[in-house]
Amino acid sequence: MSTLDAHAGHHDEGSYLSGPPGIIAHIWQWGTTVDHKKIGVMYLFAVLTMFFIGGMAAMAVRYDLLEPIRTQEVLNAAGELETVTSGEKLKELLGGITGDLSDVQIYNRAFTLHGAVMVFMFIVPSIPASLGNFFLPIMLGAKDVAFPRLNLLSWYIYVFGSLFGIMSILLGGVDTGWTFYTPYSTTTDADHWRVVLMVTAAFVLGFSSILTGLNFVVTVHKLRAPGMGWFDMPLMIWAIYATSIIQVLATPVIGITLLLLVFERIMHIGIFDPSMGGDPVLYQHFFWFYSHPVVYVMILPAMGIISEILTVHSRKHIFGYRAIAFSSLGIAGVSFLVWGHHIFTAMGELAAILFSGLTFLVAIPTAIKMFNWIATLYKGSIVVNTPMFYGLMFLFTFSIGGLTGLPLATLTTDLHLHDSYYVVAHFHYVMMGGTVIAFMGGIHHWWPKMFGKMYNERFAMLGAVLVFIGFNVTFFTQFFLGTRGMPRRYANYVDEFQTLHQISTYGSWILFAGFLVHLFVFIQSLLAGDKAPANPWGGLTLEWEAESPPIEHNFHHEPIVTHGPYDFETVVPPHWDPKDYPLPENGGQH
Amino acid sequence: MTMPTLASTEPVLLQRLIFGDKMPASHAAAWSDGLFLMITWFSIFFFVLLMGLMVYFVIKYRRRPGVPAQPSPHHNTLLEIFWTVVPSSSMLVMFVYGFWGYSYKIVSPNSAMELRIRGMKWAWVATYPNGATSPEKQALSKVIVEGAGPIQGLEYPIFYIPEDTDVKLQMQSADVLHAFWIPEFRTKMDVVPNRYTGYGFHTPTLTSNDSYVHQITGEVMPGRDMWIFCAEYCGDDHSRMAATLRVVPREVYDQKMAEWGVKLDPIDAGHKIWNTICKSCHQIDGTRLVGPAWNSFKNDAGEFGFGYEAVLSNGSKVLRDDNYYRESILDPNAKVVKGFAPAMTSYQGILSDEDINNVIAFIKSLSDRDPNAGEHDATPDQLDSQAEESAGSES
Repeated sequence: MSTLDAHAGHHDEGSYLSGPPGIIAHIWQWGTTVDHKKIGVMYLFAVLTMFFIGGMAAMAVRYDLLEPIRTQEVLNAAGELETVTSGEKLKELLGGITGDLSDVQIYNRAFTLHGAVMVFMFIVPSIPASLGNFFLPIMLGAKDVAFPRLNLLSWYIYVFGSLFGIMSILLGGVDTGWTFYTPYSTTTDADHWRVVLMVTAAFVLGFSSILTGLNFVVTVHKLRAPGMGWFDMPLMIWAIYATSIIQVLATPVIGITLLLLVFERIMHIGIFDPSMGGDPVLYQHFFWFYSHPVVYVMILPAMGIISEILTVHSRKHIFGYRAIAFSSLGIAGVSFLVWGHHIFTAMGELAAILFSGLTFLVAIPTAIKMFNWIATLYKGSIVVNTPMFYGLMFLFTFSIGGLTGLPLATLTTDLHLHDSYYVVAHFHYVMMGGTVIAFMGGIHHWWPKMFGKMYNERFAMLGAVLVFIGFNVTFFTQFFLGTRGMPRRYANYVDEFQTLHQISTYGSWILFAGFLVHLFVFIQSLLAGDKAPANPWGGLTLEWEAESPPIEHNFHHEPIVTHGPYDFETVVPPHWDPKDYPLPENGGQH
Repeated sequence: MTMPTLASTEPVLLQRLIFGDKMPASHAAAWSDGLFLMITWFSIFFFVLLMGLMVYFVIKYRRRPGVPAQPSPHHNTLLEIFWTVVPSSSMLVMFVYGFWGYSYKIVSPNSAMELRIRGMKWAWVATYPNGATSPEKQALSKVIVEGAGPIQGLEYPIFYIPEDTDVKLQMQSADVLHAFWIPEFRTKMDVVPNRYTGYGFHTPTLTSNDSYVHQITGEVMPGRDMWIFCAEYCGDDHSRMAATLRVVPREVYDQKMAEWGVKLDPIDAGHKIWNTICKSCHQIDGTRLVGPAWNSFKNDAGEFGFGYEAVLSNGSKVLRDDNYYRESILDPNAKVVKGFAPAMTSYQGILSDEDINNVIAFIKSLSDRDPNAGEHDATPDQLDSQAEESAGSES
């Protein structure tokens, strides 16, 4: 710790963002920093970049589905029969850079790229590694995480892992789907290393995840400010804590599984491939034993953000604090017992029945949280600004995501809906309507704290409304595609599905426009935003007692916790003054 | 078989909105739709309740200058127990009903007719109890172009099954995972290599409204066409791995069986195997697909066809004779023609020795170095048109 202290001595009272003059020195300072805030910002930049790459792949997928592929024989001008293929949208668009690949091959690479980038490189690290890294120590009243150097290492491991993934894409891409199901993944492109590279990327990224999780668990146990008991922690911390436990316990399983996959591909050791004596369904069990708990790695931090946003912007104590905290742990526990519901169509009847019952269990804590959040709004003082709008949007889209999961846990209806667009719509409502929406809300909620600048509320709200409309148009239609019989991962489809596919694609354009508005708002804020006060929303958690942006060691003095995180009724927020920032409802009166 | 059904047989608006025109084709499917609708109404109720409260609170308790939030309890044990028990018990009901409906979908009577389904990249093959397979195909969509007739392009096999019959599927994959989904029976199951999977269903009794348009003659016939889709991602042409399930009157089915069960001469039998299995990768008119075409021709890449030398990926040359073809079917990657990817999987255990002999006989017949030329006189084109004629005339 001595070098840390010596290093910090120079900037003890300055913003963490201020650094030495000169670009090289600046980059060196960021690249070697052990400050959790800088690492959080670097993660934020990295995951948003991945979100952009994955998003472009999604746009390509939707674009291709505007028209089905049709081959017809038509009479040309010379009166001869000619074979004409229409609807190969991606081939027309990208033919110049994809060479010999056919339209369906480009499509299959695009959806794999979308899935792999979004899951492994964006959504798993998104909230915990960026906002979690930045705010977990501050909300606990600590100077940093427990192991600052390990924290920097996990960022480098993340970047290193992502480079493997990008290399695989640049070498021609992977067409296995992000799930790498065997034996397809061990036999496709048999003479290429791209699948191995992509699997290695996921393997390496797993270590970043494990190390971050470990770091957070120790930080929560050891570095809480004096006076902060377990039940005085903000619910965001509870959520990240539960998430970290899952990361530490589940991620090694995917590491081993992916290693076995690589062994099979390179050394031809038969583990999953039946032609070598393996069992392909075994792979699915291994894979989902990690990948189902990881769904909660994605959603629990989002739930934490929602608990913060809803209380602060309605100035109300959370309803049922302990129920929400314990339901986070409950979800983390039960999440390990439900992986089988991804494989109802490939497992024995008894196992299917057991997993169906267990799956319903995980819905209960989620339902409890939903009721608690709505009850929190009761008798509040609610302001609908951008973060709050995202919070309410979360309640809307995540409810749909949760409720549409019920027919998937129900055995007989799942046999129809499994691997259809219904599943695609369901998990996008949970992952995007849940995690991404909450992430956007969290970024807006904490943006003034992170960068010391306010953003343009009007344009941010415009972006949020476009995202809301675009998201629902894109994905709500897909429920109907699924129930009507459209399988997922199809580059082509029968005529009757075209209208719904077109509506979905138009929705994706609105969604894209919404995110572009947000990008513009962020850049404008960084370049020319108004100075942010320390506590623009009147929050009571410790991060609002730090300056905006926080100083290098977060607090001038070690904070002592004297009130709960949500005691709005009994505590006058110490630094809050509405004049600091024109809130929407009195903005016109200033 | 009597079975309680949760769905109305007269579809309500919501049912039409959700499932489109694809009405459930069996009792088990109707039962599953009923449960889906029940869960949907349950979800709509809770969604409207929650969102209604949310919007009401946001409006009623909107922030006004000088008006602080009013105190209210931070928790309420009774209320919290209430909203834990209500969803829990509702889900118990869904679980039990879901299990109940599941048993209808996977269990079939011992007397059920067994249809063997083989999935491979990227085609379905159905084998009937008498060993016959269906040679009939139809195009994905029917567009009549002025002066050119109906569109051609990609064609899918048509599997005939009799109405009002219990059918049991016994499924197996030749290569990677597939899944056999019949949306109108509301069920699917993965098709796995080296393992049998399956499910059962009871085919509907045809009504006067059930009809299909015959793929060649254009006649409207009594019967009901349903899509079959592959639902487990299996590579390039996953989205083209479809088929039609055609439920027809018993006598039509029996007639087809009698016709398809006839033993064919080796070339015709080989042609039929090509048509159902090999065609997606090997053409017989010189067109290059995933694999080389089978007929004899020459181009920049070399000479093709039986009796010509193949240039292999390692640069060596080998004569395409009977043993070359046999090895290429059983161990495809042993000798790969230059310029082609080693993409083919072994057909060991899938094609019988007799099948392999028939395929080789068919390949020979496509070459101008066919040693048996003169012994038979039908060309593949004629075979094709014969097949179409016979398919068209009998119906």
